[in-house]
Amino acid sequence: MTDLTEVSQLLNKASEDPVLRTALDRAIASYWKKRKQVMERYPYVKELADEVRKIKEWSIDHMDELLGQAMDSVERRGGSAYVAKTAEDARRIVDELVGTGKIITKAKSMTTEELKLREFLIERGNEVYETDLGEFLVQFLGPKPMHFISPSIHLTREKVAEFLREFLGVEVDKDDIEGMVAQVRRFLRDKYFNADVGISGANVFAADRGAVFLIENESNIRLSISLPPKYIAVVGMEKIVPTMGDAWKVVEVISRYGGYKVTSYVNTVMGPAKVGKGDIGPEEYHVIFLDNGRREASKDPILKQTLYCLRCGACQYLCPVFGIVGGYWAGLNSAYSGGIGVMWEYITGDKETATQHAFACLLCGRCMEACPMRINQPEVLREIRRRFMAEI
Amino acid sequence: MDLKAVKLLIERNAKKSWNPLGVKEGYCSSWAEGMSFPEKGETLLYTGCLYQMIPYIDMFARLLKGFENMNPALFSIAMKINELADSLGLDTISLLASIEISKRDRERYFNIVRNIANALTSAGVKFAYMKEEPYNGVLYHDLGMDDLFEAHVKRLARKIKETGAKRVITVDPHTTYMLNYLIKEFVEDFDVEVVHYMDVLLEKGYEPELIGPKEVVIHDPCYLARWNDLIDQPRTLLTRAGAKVREPEFSRKFTGCCGGPIESLFPSLSSKLAEKRMKELKESGSPCLTVMCPICLTNFQREADKLGVRVFDIMEVIK
Repeated sequence: MTDLTEVSQLLNKASEDPVLRTALDRAIASYWKKRKQVMERYPYVKELADEVRKIKEWSIDHMDELLGQAMDSVERRGGSAYVAKTAEDARRIVDELVGTGKIITKAKSMTTEELKLREFLIERGNEVYETDLGEFLVQFLGPKPMHFISPSIHLTREKVAEFLREFLGVEVDKDDIEGMVAQVRRFLRDKYFNADVGISGANVFAADRGAVFLIENESNIRLSISLPPKYIAVVGMEKIVPTMGDAWKVVEVISRYGGYKVTSYVNTVMGPAKVGKGDIGPEEYHVIFLDNGRREASKDPILKQTLYCLRCGACQYLCPVFGIVGGYWAGLNSAYSGGIGVMWEYITGDKETATQHAFACLLCGRCMEACPMRINQPEVLREIRRRFMAEI
Repeated sequence: MDLKAVKLLIERNAKKSWNPLGVKEGYCSSWAEGMSFPEKGETLLYTGCLYQMIPYIDMFARLLKGFENMNPALFSIAMKINELADSLGLDTISLLASIEISKRDRERYFNIVRNIANALTSAGVKFAYMKEEPYNGVLYHDLGMDDLFEAHVKRLARKIKETGAKRVITVDPHTTYMLNYLIKEFVEDFDVEVVHYMDVLLEKGYEPELIGPKEVVIHDPCYLARWNDLIDQPRTLLTRAGAKVREPEFSRKFTGCCGGPIESLFPSLSSKLAEKRMKELKESGSPCLTVMCPICLTNFQREADKLGVRVFDIMEVIK
């Protein structure tokens, strides 16, 4: 546990991988350019981010109260609400709802990655498809989603084209990203219509209306959660905010800091479709609220700020260490990546691995500059070190 | 690298000489030899010893790179040998340093501190110095060794108080941040004013003279720009001296780290980070990089030849 050799070998190897470096360099340059444009076009977004920070602070301090409201709202509208204390609880609830031999379409979701839900459902005898292009690639090419909003950030377009040629048996042009997206969309199209269950996470959840918010660009989410008769949302407890109005603010901040001038779609789901009234949409609406360490962290004066994270990925794009090792930082067994990933892993996963990885942070603070919530990652990561160093 | 071994090594050095690398306090203040400053006064120049420690940091970084993938068992044997030598009264660090560190290297970093002291004097600032100058303690804090940090800064605060200083002038971003913020969590009555030497020079209307290249790329050290908000100060001083200052793509609050802070635990990664940042800097149009931090200076310096760049501290560009 005190020996960092494995961690340094993992990170050194990643830092020497030329394909990874090319992919990261391209993604980071593109993000930085977009970010500057977004900040110029929407200068008010910084103030909006400050407002959202206050909403998040209040929400994390009132997590249990909001959870109660959120669950009432879901049930009132004819949905079913559950609390999962651990990752295992969450998988069990999903298992009971899904069973075996089903076709499942998934929206990209870090929280379900935290649960290793796709792997679990496949093991239980189901057919599972990630419908976000990046996440789809990760499902087949691995090793893990390497960034909050750009899970295949580690793959170059050359690699992707090579994979699609083989997997789909069609000719694709490595410079035609739209074309590649279209090919994958064609492949997924009939999966949506035949799916039994749609599963998503949530970008934010409004307690007053029991509403899940999902931001996307490829329209895959609306298909994967609207067409199957059963819809399950897995919502980390830190995602709950008091009202729809608050949730919309969160949505805008996530997209802007994610580097989007416009995001194509924002979905909200507030309940099951009313059968017989001509509604389109799932007949069953299940919301699983996931604790898995979040409640405990919400009471920890330093770790708590991790829960303000909107998972926009800005800090990952701008972290120097992430810039050369990508999602290898935090470890390949963690769903999460980078310094913020180490913090999430510490709260929701393997504390030992997270602690070892915490020592790779520069404490330089560019993440804090990048972050709309101004989360002080150096403070949290140093605190993780302190707790460990005091023990050895 | 084994954290337990690193912790033991640092604790032993700290116990011996109040310095994580075993550097002596008398050595830290020897930059002032041949100059005359009082030991008491209302204003104190406190260097935090980082510039003076550069040759040692560099020596350890090279050593540790060799240890990076070493079996922890071997590392602990090396530690045992070191311990044995210590018990026999052999000062292994000084011994090693006398082989590894050239006089020219030492002089270079002492000269940076001397240039700062001379500039302050020329600007009309009168200050005292510490004859046995303590290290700033930041590494203990970075590694999460808070007990050690607390003991260290409590002693430091006492020593600063003994000089009678009401104002402390600092020369590097890490010491500045530590005295402005970190120390206050551990020492309740630390109420001296802390000010970076560049602010003092500007406050005095100092007109520096150009002694280095006419055109430089500026690298904002993270702790200077982001954590201490000292951004325009170096630009003003350089421009006043007539230097042309080029800005890299990532600068000011979004400056990129030199990689230095992880040089002890992840030395290879640290080198890669330095390399990447230096390429970024070089691309902005000049092979002459200017930094204002001893950690950036040493971490860049190690990779400089390979990349065909020259690295200067700001006090090697102006005086």
